[in-house]
Amino acid sequence: MKPLLTIKNLVKVYGKDTRALNGISLDFYPGEFIVVIGPSGAGKSTFIRCINRLVDPSEGAIIFDGQHMEKLSWRKLRKERSKIGMIFQHYNLVGRTNVIKNVLHGQLSNVPLYKSLLGLYRYEDKKEAVELLKKVGLQDQIYKRADELSGGQMQRVGICRAILQRPKLLLADEPIASLDPLSANIVMQQLHTISQEKKLTCIVNLHQVDYAKKYATRIIGIKKGAVVFDGAPSRLTDAMIRDIYEGKESQLKLKGESGMQLAVGQNDE
Amino acid sequence: MNNKTIHKIPLDQRDSKRTFTVVAAIFAMLIFSVVYLKISFIDMFMGLPSFVMFFFEKFFPPNAENLKQYIPSVVDTLGYAVISTYISTIIAFIFGILISENTNKFKTLRVITRGFVSILRNIPFIIWGALLVYIFGIGGIVGVLALILVTIGFLSKSYAESIDEISGDKLEALRANGSSYFQILFHGVIPQFVPAWINWTLFAFEINVRASAVLGLVGAGGIGVLIDTNINLFKYEEAFSIIAVIVMIILLTELVTNSIRKRFV
Ligand SMILES: Nc1ncnc2c1ncn2[C@@H]1O[C@H](COP(=O)(O)OP(=O)(O)OP(=O)(O)O)[C@@H](O)[C@H]1O
Ligand SMILES: [Mg+2]
Repeated sequence: MKPLLTIKNLVKVYGKDTRALNGISLDFYPGEFIVVIGPSGAGKSTFIRCINRLVDPSEGAIIFDGQHMEKLSWRKLRKERSKIGMIFQHYNLVGRTNVIKNVLHGQLSNVPLYKSLLGLYRYEDKKEAVELLKKVGLQDQIYKRADELSGGQMQRVGICRAILQRPKLLLADEPIASLDPLSANIVMQQLHTISQEKKLTCIVNLHQVDYAKKYATRIIGIKKGAVVFDGAPSRLTDAMIRDIYEGKESQLKLKGESGMQLAVGQNDE
Repeated sequence: MNNKTIHKIPLDQRDSKRTFTVVAAIFAMLIFSVVYLKISFIDMFMGLPSFVMFFFEKFFPPNAENLKQYIPSVVDTLGYAVISTYISTIIAFIFGILISENTNKFKTLRVITRGFVSILRNIPFIIWGALLVYIFGIGGIVGVLALILVTIGFLSKSYAESIDEISGDKLEALRANGSSYFQILFHGVIPQFVPAWINWTLFAFEINVRASAVLGLVGAGGIGVLIDTNINLFKYEEAFSIIAVIVMIILLTELVTNSIRKRFV
């Protein structure tokens, strides 16, 4: 199968000498649900943001859907970005705008300015927006202002907005890090279900190793800007996890049931 | 632990000498100004009774006979404030976008706009008025122009600060999904900016009502002209009732703007 996204020797240096990414090379195939794990500061956010060039890489190539992202002009970049949905840790909704308009923002790149200003989105888009909101259980909040929602609800709107782009690739940078465990569960479940239904390729940054094991078809471990693990969840052993989080064990977020928490927790301090 | 050593626990780390120096410096400035300008508090104090006498003798009772004749001037004054606020808010919005780092990535353009706006703002409007009267001659257009210039200066800076405060996060989502610059502006920046926009604009309107009442004193039209002429003609009673009208207008304006604020922000 041809990869949807190929990353070759990706390097990102912030300022003079903060090497956030240290030469990462990976292939991502259609339909994969990839979870990226790693301690704080490992470079997970930098990695995911380089893909749609919210962060400009210093070296290397990012080939998405046949296009060299790192070489694109501003105009072409916008077009490619419209094929990549993104979900953020802090949801990044426009708070004073209502829920359905926030979802329709996913279609802005396909609508001329005057139409979007007059709310003249295509009927199919509006219909799909409503259907998506129904699917995530927000049918009663359609006309509420986004800043009146709870965190979990906001993130579900964020998912709908990204899906309405009808993207080929979905990026999520710690989508559940700001949520309570219950909402986190719902959001993660819905993100997984929807991307499965739409046969989307997903790259998700997570801190929670148990979620990674539950949903991922492939896990990538990043440490100090380099890939230290790349494989199926079943191959991610406890020793491997300990190695990825070596020295930063306190950041490991596991549920008690795995039995890892105690063993790892004792290493803390 | 030795109990004696914890006897004194200072609540501040700063030394008191610095505070003392600052207070002394502020006081010295006052002394200097009074001495340099030869202001005599005694004269001031002694003059107070004759001022009060003068006020009650000449200004009282207010002469409200011609109240109806002020109406055109009152309308003029309010009209200047409305027009100048209206025009300024549009131009200032564009400048605000050009000044804020959130909406303008070109540093040179930001710096130039900021500099220009700062000149507008830092020349007091009464001086703009006097300058423009010199250029255009006496009349209403001068008043409006003077108000517009200063209000653009004031609003551009305030708008830009409010646009800066809109977190980049929200705009990042639109940037990431391929929206154009103007879509980010209209769908991301403007909705979040609305409350600040209403607030600043109403505030500018209040200032402009006050200012346009004063503009007449330099011959730039409005109700201020009436005060000026009446005082020059020694018609103090009439001047007094005009002043009363101005106070009423200003109080009414604040009443209205405050209720709008409560409703919309
Ligand atoms: N804008 C920036 N300017 C300078 N340095 C940065 C910037 N963003 C990230 N870094 C640095 O790059 C490194 C990687 O950061 P990154 O945010 O990618 O890590 P992360 O794995 O996402 O961490 P976390 O789990 O805490 O979100 C860190 O050392 C960080 O300090
Ligand atoms: Mg991060």
